[in-house]
Amino acid sequence: MSGEEEENAAELKIGEGERCLISTFSFAKFLKAKCLMNCEVARILDHKYDQLQQTSDDPTNQISQVFEKSMQYVKRFSRYKNPDAVRQVREVLSRYKLAEFELCVLGNLCPETVEEAIAIVPSIKSKGRMLEDEAIEKMLHDLSLIKKFE
Amino acid sequence: MFFHITLERNMQLHPRHFGPHLRDKLVAKLMKDVEGTCSGRHGFVVAITGVEDIGKGLIREGTGFVTFPVKYQAVVFRPFKGEILEAVVTMVNKMGFFAEAGPVQIFVSNHLIPDDMEFQSGDMPNYTTSDGSVKIQKDSEVRLKIIGTRVDATEIFCIGTIKDDFLGVINDPGAAA
Repeated sequence: MSGEEEENAAELKIGEGERCLISTFSFAKFLKAKCLMNCEVARILDHKYDQLQQTSDDPTNQISQVFEKSMQYVKRFSRYKNPDAVRQVREVLSRYKLAEFELCVLGNLCPETVEEAIAIVPSIKSKGRMLEDEAIEKMLHDLSLIKKFE
Repeated sequence: MFFHITLERNMQLHPRHFGPHLRDKLVAKLMKDVEGTCSGRHGFVVAITGVEDIGKGLIREGTGFVTFPVKYQAVVFRPFKGEILEAVVTMVNKMGFFAEAGPVQIFVSNHLIPDDMEFQSGDMPNYTTSDGSVKIQKDSEVRLKIIGTRVDATEIFCIGTIKDDFLGVINDPGAAA
């Protein structure tokens, strides 16, 4: 199983004919790690921020610049604000046999057309995956529905 | 891309903290030491979300410090080559522009900006198409592709491009106003 995942790592990255700077080993570790969409990170950081404010009198001295910048970033680029919608996005996308990384890129960027989706995640079209254009279109349609009914 | 991963670290703790609150002290020190740091291998550690396991402590001879192996989970931000993401433009000059995606800085050289966009100097330097319909200036939101990363032990810096299909400005603050 782990061998398969390493192979996957290579293909996900080298799909565009570019070699990754980092070793396959290191990327395999990240592939196995859970990727997070911006909206999920926003929820986690919000929660953490509230906790920090409760526990210390002066929260500013505990918050790192990295934390602050990340929080601003994910708030600005979160497509889905509602916690239920965030959960639904992951559920819908996970039906399509996507890698974690692909799932999150799609969830973050919310492409509108099939061509756009293939342009931002070339690996969904390569390596003989079962994803046909119609399947991708249905996936994008499902995504846009979640956005509409949020 | 943000990831949720499990990391390990050996924490040294001074004997004065030994007592009923040892675990709390250890976790507080871990957060203080690790959050906000950047390693080339794991990227920027944004926030620790939980401590999985604290191993048996080992007394260091001579100092009295005790080393604990700690396993913890954290949200990290790590950019990858070939990844497409959204970023906010922070500075524009004739060499290109800088953008920020969370904690990471991305430089887009003017060679990697579409040829029909020209640099315009002034108090709000920007890149504009000849018909003026698309403009990149400070605070614009752009979608870009990372084509190179420089990973030091304590810093990550990226080179990006917007010269490809479906890349470029997604929101122009000037147009909205």
